[in-house]
Formats: sequence, C-alpha cells, structure tokens
Amino acid sequence: MPEFLELTVDKFTFRTATDRYYNSEGVWALAEVSSLPLGEGPGVRVRIGLSDFLQQRSGDVAFAEVMSEGTVLAFGDEVAVIETIKAEVGLPSPLAGEVVEVNQAMEITPEVINQEPYGEGWLAVIEAEDWEADRARLLDPQDYFALVKEQAEEELKKR
Amino acid sequence: MNDPRRKVVIVPCSGIGKTYGTVSREAAYEVTEDLRPADTQLVALSLLVLGDEDARAAVADNPAVTIDGCKLACATRMVEESGGTVAQDFAVLDAYRRHRQFKPQGIADLSEGGQKLAHALAEEVAAVVDDLSGDGGEDA
Repeated sequence: MPEFLELTVDKFTFRTATDRYYNSEGVWALAEVSSLPLGEGPGVRVRIGLSDFLQQRSGDVAFAEVMSEGTVLAFGDEVAVIETIKAEVGLPSPLAGEVVEVNQAMEITPEVINQEPYGEGWLAVIEAEDWEADRARLLDPQDYFALVKEQAEEELKKR
Repeated sequence: MNDPRRKVVIVPCSGIGKTYGTVSREAAYEVTEDLRPADTQLVALSLLVLGDEDARAAVADNPAVTIDGCKLACATRMVEESGGTVAQDFAVLDAYRRHRQFKPQGIADLSEGGQKLAHALAEEVAAVVDDLSGDGGEDA
C-alpha cells in the first residue's frame, strides 16, 4: 500500500502517492520490481495511471481508450484518451517504450479510475526503452504535490 | 397500478448549468408529460431540499424513481432522507455508457445526442414505471 501526501483545498482532498513518479499532466509511472537479475529477462516494466488530482479534475469517467498492446510510444505520446462528463482528455505517456499490457477493466468499468486511481484504476504497463532517462524527466512526489497545490489554488481563485 | 391513488414519483437531478443534469430533467419531463403521465408524478429535487410538505408526502407515500446527474446522487439521497423508498435509481453517466452513440453536449440547448440520450433514458424509466405500476403498457 502506498503512502500519500494529502492536500485539502475547499471541499476537495487530493492524494499524491509517494511511491511513484509523475509527468506534469498528472500521469503517474511506477516501475515494477523484477525478480530477475539486472540485464536478464525483459526490460523495466512500468505501470501507469492517473493521479488522484487528475481524475478528480477531469470528472467521472465514461469511457477510457488505451493504446493497444504492441504500440510503441515515445515520451509524451498520447497513451490513452478518457472521456468524462466534462471533457475528453488525452493522456501523454510518461515514458518511451512498448505497451505490453492494458487494464481490461478500462473496457467494462472505467469508473475504477475515479474509485482507485493508484490501484485497480491503472491504465497500462509499458516496457521501458530507457527508464532511467525518462525517470529523470519526471516529477518526484514532492514536486508533483507542489504542482497540484499550485494548480488547485489557481482553480479555486477562478471561482 | 393496483392502488389508483398511487403514482410513481420521478425525481431528477437539480443541477442547473450541467449537461448531465439537463439530460436528467429532459428524461423526467418526457416520462411524466408524454410517456406515462397517468402513472407518474414529477417532484422537483429542490422542493425536497427545502422540506416542502407536499413533496415529502409524495415521496413518502409512493415508490420513487430517481435520475441522478452525477455520482453525488443528490436525488437518490434526498428521497431517502425524505422518508421515501427509491424503487430504482438511474444515473445519466450509466445511460451514456449504454448508449455511447448519443453524446450529450450543451446545457440550455442540449445537443441532438443529448436529446436522444434523454429519450433513451426516458424509455428505460418508463419501463420501470410499468413494472412498478403492474401494467405493461403506455398510458391511454
């Protein structure tokens, strides 16, 4: 179970899991622990999904379409599109690599994104091309938490 | 309906300025005004929130069908808090998932997709009304 940084703004509470990295759009990346020695077997596999802030900001998810297995992505390429009650949101991949697994729940119960953004609501697993290089371009939990705080407070001012 | 005095109460979302709330209300209007006017009664959620006695009595004495615009499910919760029984709760988002070809957009002027979604939802609500009423058809 991950631990969280929590931010409450107005009536909303946003959680940021501290065990993963984020791009500035709010897509998280969590490297899977491999049981194989380094250099053996497949490369680093990274699970991705939406942050709590991104899912709350986007609204209730009606549909989620994730790039199919075998799709090769560059860093920042669109890896999924979610359609919510507010808008269609394209999600940029937080790493380069090949999609090796798609969460089948996205087809039947995409609302799991809203219910468990850091757990069962994951989108896909990507076999990284160069995880170390991509990780260096992502935000650590503290930096992403600061970004969430800034963006949440900005939205509050607009009301 | 076995008891001629009883009508199915329809309670839609009160979200003004929200597309899904508008779909909810349009569906409720269609059921209560066009599809099943003899078997249904529209109750405004705002009246339940305000504690209006007639509205509270209507939901307390009759089965209710709620149509919620979002996961807050205000219509369902207010019926329950008003002492009523929710016989069936509908959510516009779920209806959209069942009818993806009808994408709702717009608010004051609901898009064609939104109007079609409201109609599809109204048909589903009408079917539930028929079950609750014990008769299986349209109003004469």
